[in-house]
Amino acid sequence: MKQLVRSQGFGAIIGVVVMLVVFSLIDFSGWWTAQTITNVTQFTAILSFVAMGQALVIMTKEIDLSVGSVYGLAGVAFITLEPSFGVPGSLVIALVMAAFVGLLQAFAVVKGHLPSMIVTLGGLFAVRGIIYVWTGGSVHNFSADARIHPVTRLFGGELFGVEAAIFWLVVVAAVLGIVLWATPFGNRLLATGGSRESAESRGVRTDRVKIWTFVLCSLLAGFAGILTLCNQPQTHVTLGENMELEAISAAVIGGCLLTGGRGSIIGAVLGALIVVSFRYELIALGAPSSWYITFVGVVLIVAIIFNQKLARFLGHSV
Amino acid sequence: MKFGNSILLSALMAATALGGIANAQDGEKQYRFVMVSHIGSNDPNMGWLTKSMEEFEKKYPNVKTEYISTNNYSVQEHVRLLEQAISTQPDGIAVPIVSSDAFEGPLRKAIEAGIPVVAFNIPDGRPEGERIPYLTYVGGDEYLTGKKLGEYALEKAEAGEIPKPTHVVCASHDSAHQGLKARCAGMKDAMEKAGAKVDELFIGAEPATARNTLQSFLQANPDTNYIFTVAGWSSPWAWGVANEMKLDPDVDDKGVTVLTVDEGPVSIEGVRAGHVLATNSQGFWLQGYAPMEWLYWNKEFGYAPQSNILTGPVIINKDNADKWAELVRGVFGDKAYDEQNTW
Repeated sequence: MKQLVRSQGFGAIIGVVVMLVVFSLIDFSGWWTAQTITNVTQFTAILSFVAMGQALVIMTKEIDLSVGSVYGLAGVAFITLEPSFGVPGSLVIALVMAAFVGLLQAFAVVKGHLPSMIVTLGGLFAVRGIIYVWTGGSVHNFSADARIHPVTRLFGGELFGVEAAIFWLVVVAAVLGIVLWATPFGNRLLATGGSRESAESRGVRTDRVKIWTFVLCSLLAGFAGILTLCNQPQTHVTLGENMELEAISAAVIGGCLLTGGRGSIIGAVLGALIVVSFRYELIALGAPSSWYITFVGVVLIVAIIFNQKLARFLGHSV
Repeated sequence: MKFGNSILLSALMAATALGGIANAQDGEKQYRFVMVSHIGSNDPNMGWLTKSMEEFEKKYPNVKTEYISTNNYSVQEHVRLLEQAISTQPDGIAVPIVSSDAFEGPLRKAIEAGIPVVAFNIPDGRPEGERIPYLTYVGGDEYLTGKKLGEYALEKAEAGEIPKPTHVVCASHDSAHQGLKARCAGMKDAMEKAGAKVDELFIGAEPATARNTLQSFLQANPDTNYIFTVAGWSSPWAWGVANEMKLDPDVDDKGVTVLTVDEGPVSIEGVRAGHVLATNSQGFWLQGYAPMEWLYWNKEFGYAPQSNILTGPVIINKDNADKWAELVRGVFGDKAYDEQNTW
């Protein structure tokens, strides 16, 4: 129990419990239905991939504002390259492109000593521009054969009776959790964000850690784009727009501190659950959907205050 | 020697021809008309406008047309582009009045400076004396688009071909767009007369978010049996969500009925496949061509039309969808048409 309280995602666990209690009290019969839970968890899964990557970057005391565009770019590449390279080929190319964007940005941040907020803001616009030019504003589609290809089915639709996105989320979150908490790379990542100088004094190559983290973040965003399009194989130039804001919100609500060195994978997933659930419940309660973004902002501010107080209460410096 | 003579003769002929062209150009005024649009490269409808402007240039070689646009549905960005365009002193401007208040200042200044303005795609919705004094409006009527589509659906419901509407959701991707609001208002007026409840839902333009929002709405409002998407490209999202929820969204006498807009491949093929009851054409091709024609006639002869020029709505349904598909294929080309069919 003591360990649970001290865990980085404890704030998010409290948030989810409070949210579930409140939603049950005000809308029990609407909230606790199979359809609602499927709806919320499926979209939580997609946002979680982007949020997990964002959480890792934030843990290194950086930020990645380009994830929404990278998500879109990978999706567009996956669909539009399929006629030439087939489903597996276009999937690999799309992921390589996403990783390449992450690598370029990482080099600009690490080697160019530029603020990650500026570099990735540039990345957000540059990549979105590429999507506009590439698609020419048009929507694109998968062929009938590509839709039933085994690889498409592996990442879209259902796997072992559950939505494929949820299945992959469990697998990837478990792997990332192990990497973060049980491997030297995880220790180095948290040390880099906690105190770069002391990490370097202990021999951690912080530049290399940051580069890998940016690449991983872009890869996760790209993978989320591919998962989405395997399920609904229709591109649109707006694919992933504003997702970076939701992903940052989810990571921060999930316990990541922008001062670096603290955060958790499970927290990012729970943060995504809170963000998506709020959208559902606001609409279910009849609030205009435009209010959703206001509520995300309010929840974000409350979460930051709560997480900071919790961290101080547990004796961490923030 | 013969070869040398040929070269000399060719050079002489070329010089004569060039001289002739130069004389013709001297005699003809050169114009530059600018279309400042919100239909950017993120919107397949841009193709209609740019292609029709190319045709216009072929007919009037002394006119240079330019198409500049925003991509991000921002009124501020649109006004900034408009101000930049005005500062280059074009001979005429065509612009959609996305926001009457925001466009009032720059357009009045341009008109006072002698630049003729034609509104296209979206008019200034205010009364005659209060609106921006542009030459004319060329485009569809967004309110009528919603109203006529609603009335068409009611006709079909009366005939028993589709269910009678109980609850209609108007799914919009841009909450600040006057034209989209007018489409929803038209649908609302038609449907409320028939006793149906109508809600406007802002779904955004990002596909996953839009689907999630729409799914949440349908789940929380199980009496909803009509979905009106105010963009053609969001109709497959609406149909997909309703289909996953097993709400039977195909066009028949049960379940949910989907209506949409635009004469793009997605909308037309949605009708042909029986997923969408009807869509509309607002005459996009004419909206690119006709404003340029009026600007030209105004500059050359001082002509100004005495009323708005409506280019739509034309209802596209299963009876005429094949003809529309043929027409649109001719403009877009087979490859682009097939790629853009996301059903």
